[in-house]
Amino acid sequence: MLTKFETKSNRVKGLSFHSKRPWILASLHSGVIQLWDYRMGTLIDRFDEHDGPVRGVHFHQSQPLFVSGGDDYKIKIWRMNDTKAWEVDTLRGHMNNVSCVLFHARQDIIVSNSEDKSIRVWDATKRTGLQTFRREHDRFWILGCHPEMNLLAAGHDSGMIVFKLERERPAFSVSGDSLYFVKDRFLRFYDYTSQKDTQILPIRRPGSISLNQGPRTLCYSPTENAILICSDVDGGSYELYIIPKDSITRGDTVQEAKRGVGGSAVFVARNRFAVLEKSTNQVLVKNLKNEIVKKSALPVAADAIFYAGTGNLLCRAEDRVFIFDLQQRLVLGDLQTSFVRYVVWSSDMESVALLSKHSIIIADKKLVHRCTLHETIRVKSGSWDDNGVFIYTTLTHIKYCLPNGDSGIIKTLDVPVYITKIFGNTLFYLDRDGKNRPIVIDSTEYVFKLSLLKKRFDHVMSMIRNSELCGQAMIAYLQQKGFPEVALHFVKDERTRFNLALESGNIQIAVASAKEIDEKDHWYRLGVEALRQGNSGIVEYAYQRTKNFERLSFLYLITGNLDKLSKMMKISEVKNDVMGQFHNALYLGDVQERIKILVNAGHLHLAYATAKTHGLNDIVEDLADKLNGSVPNLPSGRSSSLLICPTPVLCGGDWPLLRTMKGIFEGGLDNAGKGGNEEYEDAADADWGEELDIVDVENIQNGDISMVPDDEEAHEDNEEGGWDLEDLELPPDVETPKAATSRSSVFVAPTAGMPVSQIWVQKSSLAAEHAAAGNFDTAMRLLSRQLGIKNFTPLKSLFIDLHMGSHSYLRAFSSAPLISLAIERGWSESASPNVRAPPALVFSFSQLEEKLKAGYKATTTGKFTEALRLFLSILHTIPLIVVESRREVDEVKELIIIVKEYVLGLQMELKRRELRDNPVRQQELAAYFTHCNLQLPHLRLALMNAMTVCYKAGNLITASNFARRLLETNPTAENQTKTARSVMQAAERNMKDSTQLNYDFRNPFVVCGATYVPIYRGQKDVLCPGRIRCFRLTVFSSSDQMIHKSFLQSYQSQFFSLNVSGFRSRVEDFCLVADVLCCYIREPITLNCRLDFGYEFSFWRFDIQIFVFLEFVEIWCRLKTVTVVWHSQSGVGL
Amino acid sequence: MATAPDVLFNLRNNFYLGAYQAAINNNDVPNLSEEDAIERDCLVYRSYIALGSYQLVINEVDSSAATPLQAVKLLALYLFSPDSKENTISSIREWLGDAAIGNNPILRLIAGTIFMHEQDYNEALKYTNAGGTMELYALNVHIFLKMNRSDYAEKQLRVMQQIDEDHTLTQLATAWLNLAVGGSKIQEAYLIFQDFSEKYQMTSLILNGKAVCCMHMGNFDEAESFLLEALNKDAKDQETLANLVVCSLHLGKPSARFLSQLKLSDPEHVLVKRGLTAEENFDRAMQTVG
Repeated sequence: MLTKFETKSNRVKGLSFHSKRPWILASLHSGVIQLWDYRMGTLIDRFDEHDGPVRGVHFHQSQPLFVSGGDDYKIKIWRMNDTKAWEVDTLRGHMNNVSCVLFHARQDIIVSNSEDKSIRVWDATKRTGLQTFRREHDRFWILGCHPEMNLLAAGHDSGMIVFKLERERPAFSVSGDSLYFVKDRFLRFYDYTSQKDTQILPIRRPGSISLNQGPRTLCYSPTENAILICSDVDGGSYELYIIPKDSITRGDTVQEAKRGVGGSAVFVARNRFAVLEKSTNQVLVKNLKNEIVKKSALPVAADAIFYAGTGNLLCRAEDRVFIFDLQQRLVLGDLQTSFVRYVVWSSDMESVALLSKHSIIIADKKLVHRCTLHETIRVKSGSWDDNGVFIYTTLTHIKYCLPNGDSGIIKTLDVPVYITKIFGNTLFYLDRDGKNRPIVIDSTEYVFKLSLLKKRFDHVMSMIRNSELCGQAMIAYLQQKGFPEVALHFVKDERTRFNLALESGNIQIAVASAKEIDEKDHWYRLGVEALRQGNSGIVEYAYQRTKNFERLSFLYLITGNLDKLSKMMKISEVKNDVMGQFHNALYLGDVQERIKILVNAGHLHLAYATAKTHGLNDIVEDLADKLNGSVPNLPSGRSSSLLICPTPVLCGGDWPLLRTMKGIFEGGLDNAGKGGNEEYEDAADADWGEELDIVDVENIQNGDISMVPDDEEAHEDNEEGGWDLEDLELPPDVETPKAATSRSSVFVAPTAGMPVSQIWVQKSSLAAEHAAAGNFDTAMRLLSRQLGIKNFTPLKSLFIDLHMGSHSYLRAFSSAPLISLAIERGWSESASPNVRAPPALVFSFSQLEEKLKAGYKATTTGKFTEALRLFLSILHTIPLIVVESRREVDEVKELIIIVKEYVLGLQMELKRRELRDNPVRQQELAAYFTHCNLQLPHLRLALMNAMTVCYKAGNLITASNFARRLLETNPTAENQTKTARSVMQAAERNMKDSTQLNYDFRNPFVVCGATYVPIYRGQKDVLCPGRIRCFRLTVFSSSDQMIHKSFLQSYQSQFFSLNVSGFRSRVEDFCLVADVLCCYIREPITLNCRLDFGYEFSFWRFDIQIFVFLEFVEIWCRLKTVTVVWHSQSGVGL
Repeated sequence: MATAPDVLFNLRNNFYLGAYQAAINNNDVPNLSEEDAIERDCLVYRSYIALGSYQLVINEVDSSAATPLQAVKLLALYLFSPDSKENTISSIREWLGDAAIGNNPILRLIAGTIFMHEQDYNEALKYTNAGGTMELYALNVHIFLKMNRSDYAEKQLRVMQQIDEDHTLTQLATAWLNLAVGGSKIQEAYLIFQDFSEKYQMTSLILNGKAVCCMHMGNFDEAESFLLEALNKDAKDQETLANLVVCSLHLGKPSARFLSQLKLSDPEHVLVKRGLTAEENFDRAMQTVG
């Protein structure tokens, strides 16, 4: 011993080194505590505060503190600085001598024990007792504290205990790809995909009255974003937090959680949780407001409840668990178990793992027992992998458990971890510090075993081929699990192979192995197995190899192979095997041979008896002679019966086998193949289904296109206009009568309220909305007033569609009439209930855009009738479109302009095709067509068309004009350029027009929508041949921009206004309407225009109000320089 | 606080959620009390009625059967032969007047249902307003919604919620009301149907519920997928067809085929009638406006 330092004093009972300084504390029997510097060998200080011996003394690891405990039952806390130490406080509570006292290594607590048979835990800061643990009979003598881990040890009269004070398992809950867990006093969120850990909100810190008050379990409801945290506070209580929408609160303020007392609390539905009230053994179902919704008594006293699917609870009773359906109030299943600590459901909720301290029980959702695993080391956590394998941890290992209960080790652990989730090979766990970590595990072994178990031999095979699975353990496993045929493929050693082949009944491999080994014992065993299988060929072969003649003979006998049997007899003879020979003779029924053998063997008596019995009298006499009269006395008076040879069971050959044994590879392949096929077939079925669906959809789409022609052509004006919705924002609930508040005993049925459609009618000034509400006449009046539409026939189907699409149908109570529900427009999450929004309309601007595209396409492909129908249907629908913004108003206007041009152009083109015998008119129409505002490709086609027509008719100048215009568009198609060039060349050679056309391309013009004649700029009057109701308002034509603009400048919008859908449109809108009207000119139309000074003009309807119109135009013309050109058959001109 | 197992729970639940065939197939519940057996039979026969097998109910329920079953038979008679409606109504009035049986909840329920079909809501409420069973309360909610009195419906619903907030009928009625009042409540209705679809067998009632919610939220594409799924389950379900017509209209897809299917399947359907009246209205309006 190398003594560094020594002191002299009366009985030192406690010692403690300072962790850094060269100090040591010594507590003495006298009650004195000494603080020594053992390097300097000096006594720094002495403290005499205890009465009586001081047994325990301990320095704090990091702070300038130490504690002492003595036989005065007291514990003293001391603080020191560089020069001195002084007593800070005394902890009283022990009822007898304090044996030992120390600071906890990781927590701010002091632990002491005493001869009063208790261990006490004290708060080192507040210096109050936290908890007391007592033992019945044992006095405590000594304490030990682990320097790093959360472990303590205490020695007592009859042994020692190692223990920890607080649970280290973080409360957590897995939801989809994320984990919610509690660390310190924060709820945190961990995303498995990004592996990001985020703090969500602070939770209440338990008043540290005693230990183990931290969150014990956590339950999460994804839909409501709610968290239930249970702890042991107040003997079991829960707190309900709602995670705010913005999710992350960095702040430190604790949300005012809803609280309650209860054994355990779990969510049982999106917005319901169940709380166990142990005192009454009831389950209280509560809503998120923490109000009791329902109470349900449990049939068996339970001390904890766990989630078990929506509306179900898994309840833990003393010696069992059971699943209780809260709605049916029925126990769905129960199972005897040891005390279950944790419950882990598989993701499909079909299987559950019940974790006890030393066992795991796997059961199905009705708690039908599947398997139980026993562990010698404590089970800590577990989770299901995607294949239905339960992966769990004990203190020291990560292990797996297959559905059949087979288990094995995956990995050894240094420290305990808590598995939270498994994705393929990656296992996520929480460690004791509340950190999430992924770990990759080797799943080969259990995946292989699982495949075997599920008879997925294809997997098995590929794993055998690709991985290094071999090993005695695996072979033993395969043998034990009844897969010798699989093991066969791992093994090279012939003896093992032979054994496995026999076990799996694979005779062929067994024979091959037996040949290699060539040992008697193996041949024999092969023979036995072959015999069992009825494979007589192999049996014979095996017997032959072992020269087992007796068995061979018997085999020949029972298989009726008499030839070979007689050969056997001969062999016996050659071998001098008398007994064998005799047996064979007996088998063959060859009496004479037997006698001969007996004679040869010297058994004359027996030979005589045999001969006598069989009535072979010659031989009998012969033998009698040889025996010299001492013939045996055969029983007389009995009729002798002959030994009959056994009939062969089956003649020759192998026995038929019901099932031929195939190697796993073959069988496996077959199975796999079949399985695969079946899967393919399934998949094919699914695809068929899918395809049918697709076909349906296509049909629908096809139908859609074919439906369009059904729409009759119509004409009404389109309007452009902005729909202003302000007029709809009426105070809510005006129409619905309030319920009568009187509570008279006589029930008075309330009067019916107002249907939503009626509210729509009252609130709306839009035609489409009235149509949706079924209020057609108002809708028509509105259209008539706002747009001057007179003929509604084309709108019929549109109106009806609007109306039919305005309600959905809900089957409420069985067999009672349906409830029709008004579908409203512009729904948003924050929309207030009971405030009626305008009806959802079946027509939308986006649909029209689709139609426009279809119209373009039809135009390109030359389907003009179809295209015209599409464009017209766009115009028909526009008055019933409701748009919400000024931008959309502009888009609608733009659409009208585009469509108007196309309608006019296509109408002219179709007209041209009708007029086969009027080449002049044909040329004119083709020419006008090129002046419609078309998309460039269409314009090129129109120009090509006009060029061709004119060229053929000999109007070369005109044709060359089209060719020039065509070239100016830089046509992409080679042939267009080429044709145009040659036309121009031809025209240069011959500059003339053979016919006169009403077409002056130098002079800007617009085309009358009814008569298809041009109205040139500056022209005052055009005579329209033979058409009624023909007129036009060229000033407003968008193609005459100059006049248009000057008009607008001169007369600001306050002068004319047009009320379109509640939106006071400006003059330009009015102009647009007028333009479009030109397209429908063949129908009687009225357009009302209200002048701001209060006059309301029905400013045209030819037959009746012509003069009003004239008056209007007169005012107009007087006002400015615009020229109004119009014409009618009546010849009234201006 | 109830403790006894609710043995008819599944049957009832199936019936409420429109899984009528499942209700019929799984009606063999052992050890039923007499009272429960009658309720069971009622549910089974009402399921048959819901499936349109009126004749079966009429034939199977004989005159010795218990009052509730007789009442169910009346409903079958009412729905089966529109011509003899008057007779049915007069017999139900007679029974309701009988003090011995007049208060039977099933009888009152059936009366309510029949008067609803007659669109005589006041008469219906006369018998149902007192409530007493979850079904009666739910029917009251239904009636008030038909009358566009969601305020009254809400009151009834509150009664149901006080009795059992998680009852399937309470949840359903909540969804009806939520849909009727609209706005943000539609999401809640959707969640209710969503809960059902996770918890129980998927029925066209649930799918239609989800689809209607989607339509009201303006999400017609999703609604269509639910409806097509429902159509796969039952190609003749009238509610599905009607909603498909509506949904297709909004999607700009052709609806004519669904409409003609609906006309074949139920010429009296609200939507069919709506279409017909609309045409008449249109022609009439043309004349007045023109």
